[in-house]
Amino acid sequence: MHSIAMNNARTQIDQSKDVMSRISGHLELLSDMGQDFATSFDIDVTLSHGLERITNYVGAEGGALFLLNDEGRKLTCTASVGPIEIIGLTLGSDEGIVGRCVQDDTGEIVRDAAKDPKFKNAVDAETGFSTRSILCAPMSVKGEKIGAIELVNKKGGDGLFDNNDLFLLQSLSSSAALAIINARMAEALVEQERVRRELELAAEIQRSLLPAAGDDDFPIHGVNCPARTVSGDFYDFFPLADGRICFNLGDVSGKGMNAALLMAKTASLYRCLGKTIHEPGKLLAKINDEVCETVTRGMFVTMVGGIYDPATGKVRLANAGHEPPLFLSTDGSYTAIPAEAPPIGISPILSSGGGIPEIELDLAGGTLYVFTDGVTEGYLEDGSEMEVDGLKKLLIDNASLSAAERLQAVIACISREGIALRDDLTLLAIDDALQSAGRDKAPPATGGDGDAEKTMLHLKFPSQPDRLKLVRNAVYDTALLCGCSEAVARDIVIAIDEACQNVIRHAYKGSPDGEVVLDINREGESIVLMLQDYADSVDVSTIKPRALDDVRPGGLGTHFIREIMDEVDFVPPPGGTGNLLRMAKKIS
Amino acid sequence: MKHEVTEQGTVIIVGLEGDVDLQSSGEARKILLECAKQKKPILVDLSKVDYIDSSGIASLVEALQTTRKGGSDLALVSVSEAALRVLELARLDKVFIICASIDEGVQKIG
Repeated sequence: MHSIAMNNARTQIDQSKDVMSRISGHLELLSDMGQDFATSFDIDVTLSHGLERITNYVGAEGGALFLLNDEGRKLTCTASVGPIEIIGLTLGSDEGIVGRCVQDDTGEIVRDAAKDPKFKNAVDAETGFSTRSILCAPMSVKGEKIGAIELVNKKGGDGLFDNNDLFLLQSLSSSAALAIINARMAEALVEQERVRRELELAAEIQRSLLPAAGDDDFPIHGVNCPARTVSGDFYDFFPLADGRICFNLGDVSGKGMNAALLMAKTASLYRCLGKTIHEPGKLLAKINDEVCETVTRGMFVTMVGGIYDPATGKVRLANAGHEPPLFLSTDGSYTAIPAEAPPIGISPILSSGGGIPEIELDLAGGTLYVFTDGVTEGYLEDGSEMEVDGLKKLLIDNASLSAAERLQAVIACISREGIALRDDLTLLAIDDALQSAGRDKAPPATGGDGDAEKTMLHLKFPSQPDRLKLVRNAVYDTALLCGCSEAVARDIVIAIDEACQNVIRHAYKGSPDGEVVLDINREGESIVLMLQDYADSVDVSTIKPRALDDVRPGGLGTHFIREIMDEVDFVPPPGGTGNLLRMAKKIS
Repeated sequence: MKHEVTEQGTVIIVGLEGDVDLQSSGEARKILLECAKQKKPILVDLSKVDYIDSSGIASLVEALQTTRKGGSDLALVSVSEAALRVLELARLDKVFIICASIDEGVQKIG
């Protein structure tokens, strides 16, 4: 009795020792793997390692980890342990015992797989593995199904999984699920951060495309306030060699990255071509050509391009489909300048027929405002839109401020702390007030209006080479009389000599009976030479300056003329016969 | 336009004077090409040129090319201010050898 009792007691102690050591083993495994999951850098490796440990710990022949994918429609094995490698095996999300376990979000013990109607025999048939018993635990976090861990064929004993095994597997699958969710969120965060950083870089490059703000007394000021990180709006201004200032403002259809890229392209084209093409209409037409060649279907750019001459207060403007710029004259009245052509990128037709129509505007101390519809359609504090009338009033109300401050005042009305902008805001002001004051102080060159002409020379001569010396002498003296320096006068002589040669050689084709008329006028600060012949019209496009690295005789004359003179244009001759070449050069 | 052709050793010296323009550049071209055919080094003295136009420059370029084809060279000497300006406009001031004096020219290409 005694010994039996002793034996029983010993058995009980042994059993509780067993339980204790099993529980502490469970805890150790759980704690280890929890730690692994929490500190994992590579979730796939950690999961695969974890699966191996649990399979060995429970004593199963094999184990597999399935994850839901394809928006929850499929279950794919992403880790497997055991004699048969089944990574990549894909089932429908409710197929097999693993599918049922995932869908019901309940762990289960299947003692005889063959008798379970859900069991997929096909897998065994294909792999040659013989599945007897299955232990399966779902992975889910707060109802979000992720997948399941499945163990097959318990080794040793009766070959069956028990509740302890299930409990252990469920604990592990929960922490694995959490680790997977965490890893996925971290990945999404990293990706978001990467996209954000790239956007910021793009925005920085975009900001660098905008011109640096000029001094307060610089006549042109601009401001751009993007609705998102990057902007589809742009503006630019840059001085030309003759003191005039080339400017533009544009709005690319749409917002975001694609608009920003087209913006960068259009702005770059304008800056590059604007340095050589000094006619805004032709310039916009040329840009239209380029953009039409490559633009993504459906994207376009509305754009205003112009040239402002601080010396005269005049602006030449071309508008391709853009919101009409507003000219505020010194008497407080507004003039809107509507678009004369469709937006850029719509049709290559623009370019034929000499480009987009240009408008000439005498600012006479007033200000020209160019802006995008983000401004007029911007929401004011009371929820209403700014509209054109609101903008007009705002600009007049702030007339006492500097141009840059006026633009900021407009932005401040629309862009308020904590309110997302509806669209990019961009404004440009060409303010002639200071320049005009400077012009008024200077003694009027020809009596008032800067455009007043003064005839300096009128000369008529036959198309004969032996008259050129006479023409050269007359032009040299006239240029000096206009106030040109000797060097400038000598240059003008070269230009007129070459132009006369072109008339003699190309227009009259060497015939000595042609008549040539030269008029020299002083127009404001420029000397203007008008050379007229009465021969058949010359196809201007065939007279081209030659490439300078091509060293060979001939073709140089036209290059000299363009090099020397600020403006060289064939203009329609009075009466429509012959050719009239207009050449102008700043006197100082 | 006036001109004068002399020789110093093996070097031909062509002096042009006055205006080399549409009226006279044909003549200048003829003279220069005549010299270039002799396959000797040529110095073109431009010190007395008051005016030269694109056709005059073209004659100089043609003469340079012909001389070089003949295995010899052509240099410009004492280029007047008027001629230099036109060479600069044509960006040919870097193409031609330009010498300050006939002696320097003879040394360089003779």
